Amino acid sequence: MRKMEKSRLLAFSDKYRIYLLFVAVFAVMSLFAPRFFALQNMTSILNAIAMNATVAIGFTVVMICGQLDLSIGAVITFAGVLTMGLEPLLGFPGAIAVAIAGGAFVGLLNGLLVAKAKINSFIVTLGTMTILQGSIYQFSGGNSIGITTPQAFAISDFLGVSLIPLVTPRILIAILLVVAVELFLRRSRAGRNFYLVGGNKNTAWFAGINTDRYQIAAFVISGVTAAVGGICSVLVSTAATLKLGENSLMYVISATIIGGTAMSGGKGGVLRSVIAIFTLEMLYTGIILFGLGNEVKIFFAGLILAYVVLYEAYATYKHDKSLGQRPELMKEIKKRRTASGGA
Amino acid sequence: MNADSRAVRSSSFSRIVNTAGVYGIALLFLVLGLLLQLTGAIGNFLSVQNMLNIVDAVALVGIVAVGMSFVTYSGHYADMSVPTTMGFTGYICIELLRYGFLPAILGALVVGLLIGLLNGFVIGKFKANPIIWTLAVNYVTLGIIRLVWVNKQIYPDLQGSGQAAVALFDSIYRLRFFHLIGLPLVILIILVVVGQFVLTRTSFGVKLKVTGSALRAAKFSGIDVERVILVSFVLAAFTATIAGLAVTSLSRVGAWYNGAGYDFKAVTAIVIGGMTLAGGRGSILGVLGGSLIIGILNNIMTLVGIGTFSQDMVRGAIFIIVVGINAVSLRSLGRDDA
Repeated sequence: MRKMEKSRLLAFSDKYRIYLLFVAVFAVMSLFAPRFFALQNMTSILNAIAMNATVAIGFTVVMICGQLDLSIGAVITFAGVLTMGLEPLLGFPGAIAVAIAGGAFVGLLNGLLVAKAKINSFIVTLGTMTILQGSIYQFSGGNSIGITTPQAFAISDFLGVSLIPLVTPRILIAILLVVAVELFLRRSRAGRNFYLVGGNKNTAWFAGINTDRYQIAAFVISGVTAAVGGICSVLVSTAATLKLGENSLMYVISATIIGGTAMSGGKGGVLRSVIAIFTLEMLYTGIILFGLGNEVKIFFAGLILAYVVLYEAYATYKHDKSLGQRPELMKEIKKRRTASGGA
Repeated sequence: MNADSRAVRSSSFSRIVNTAGVYGIALLFLVLGLLLQLTGAIGNFLSVQNMLNIVDAVALVGIVAVGMSFVTYSGHYADMSVPTTMGFTGYICIELLRYGFLPAILGALVVGLLIGLLNGFVIGKFKANPIIWTLAVNYVTLGIIRLVWVNKQIYPDLQGSGQAAVALFDSIYRLRFFHLIGLPLVILIILVVVGQFVLTRTSFGVKLKVTGSALRAAKFSGIDVERVILVSFVLAAFTATIAGLAVTSLSRVGAWYNGAGYDFKAVTAIVIGGMTLAGGRGSILGVLGGSLIIGILNNIMTLVGIGTFSQDMVRGAIFIIVVGINAVSLRSLGRDDA
């Protein structure tokens, strides 16, 4: 009986791993890191994760589909540069629309190449990433693009002002997107189908789901959310630097896996990824608050990604090894044997 | 002659045509460059100096590509930790130059091989996703570089005690036999010959082919799959280290960005050279041809006046097109997993 409880506790902690981790990191940092538990610090953390949280939404959907999108970092920068570069021509609404359409187009291209041409998704997105990086430099001439009109500053101020404590419009956009996609994935039939396609593509196909269409849709969602993340970020800073999306890939991959989305697909959730991003950012902020440099942060970010990938691979390895074995049966046979031996 | 042997013959025939085809395309690009020169669009394409430039550029990419093609051949796509492996080994070498030339080279090689061992062990044993894992290792190595050298680039000490060693190190890239053939090119040729031999004439090559074609079948037929994968990643790290030393010798500075872009250039060369990303198909000679094509193409684009970044776009587009054609043609052969 007690054993039963223990295994249930383990299952519980595994299922809600990311939430427990979140609470733990929050508690430790609040207790030990100087100036961590303050409204201002919390607001700055939320502002810092707004971009990556938005980007993680689409990335998680792609991963639930069993694919990977390595082009998100380039899409972020691409959308940012497009927004700022086209503003003098089209005004902000037009430029933003073009940037989102650009992100969607890249996603569509990725999706078509993965679903229709059946090329491996790392390879496809590695290729589109390179093409995008080239076009970013081509478009911007290698410089960051800043807009210094009063309108740009007004938008920046608006996005950064606190509606209620902790929540600025920028954060609100991210929250709304997360809630919308989370509900869509959990509650709607189309949303559930993404899990089915990622879990077992053939089964999904036999169940009458157009698997290609879902894969393409996942990549389009990823392209759009990456673009939205980039756009919001450049609107706040009123300048698009070419290093905008540089670290996002590492950040978002680590967070998504820590959040419990399986690299093999069919498992996970958007909210979990975003909570994981929050947790990581708290950790990194803590590192900075402890007075350690940016290099330490980069080092830790890499280490965490490596650890997480290794952990996941090791778990799958152990699971595969025990596949088909029935430890409880072996135990019972052993017990009976000793019992009969004693008699 | 029965159908089976005819099929075997036609496949080996098509392989020769494929490899020859790569060099045919390289030749076509040479002709294109010549035509552009005749029409006056570009200056001196066919000069000795320019040909040397092409060959030098090909040598570096080729060295990385030859090692990485073992990873691709084993069905593990690519080693994305190459850029910082190159950077990191450069730092190590420059740091150790004060103890002499040989210790510096050996130290760099040891560090490079350790990275390869780590990659190969984790991917072979635990079946970690090769792209993600090597990407993670890339970031960790980058973090180590940033942490240890605090964002600094380092230069070989020209005045200190290890002056002779520095001069030797400097000559890695600059040494030319008969004033023509650079040392990297010689290394590349040796690597290609040895690589082609290992891939086609040794038992390791056969094991690698089976592993790349069908991992499960390889495992059940008694091949130590984990070791084969380990060795292929170690080979990739080994050639990346050599290329890293050459690049560091060329730029005379240890910097974390020394190897930037070499991962993608090498994968593109491998894919253009006819090695499929599904594994188990292709040859080192083809990869050499792929590197040649990339080198000539880059050279023509530079001479025409296309910027580095637009070259990235062209390279990326070519990469996707080639992989797409490859996947489609493989599917028509009945292999759906490209």
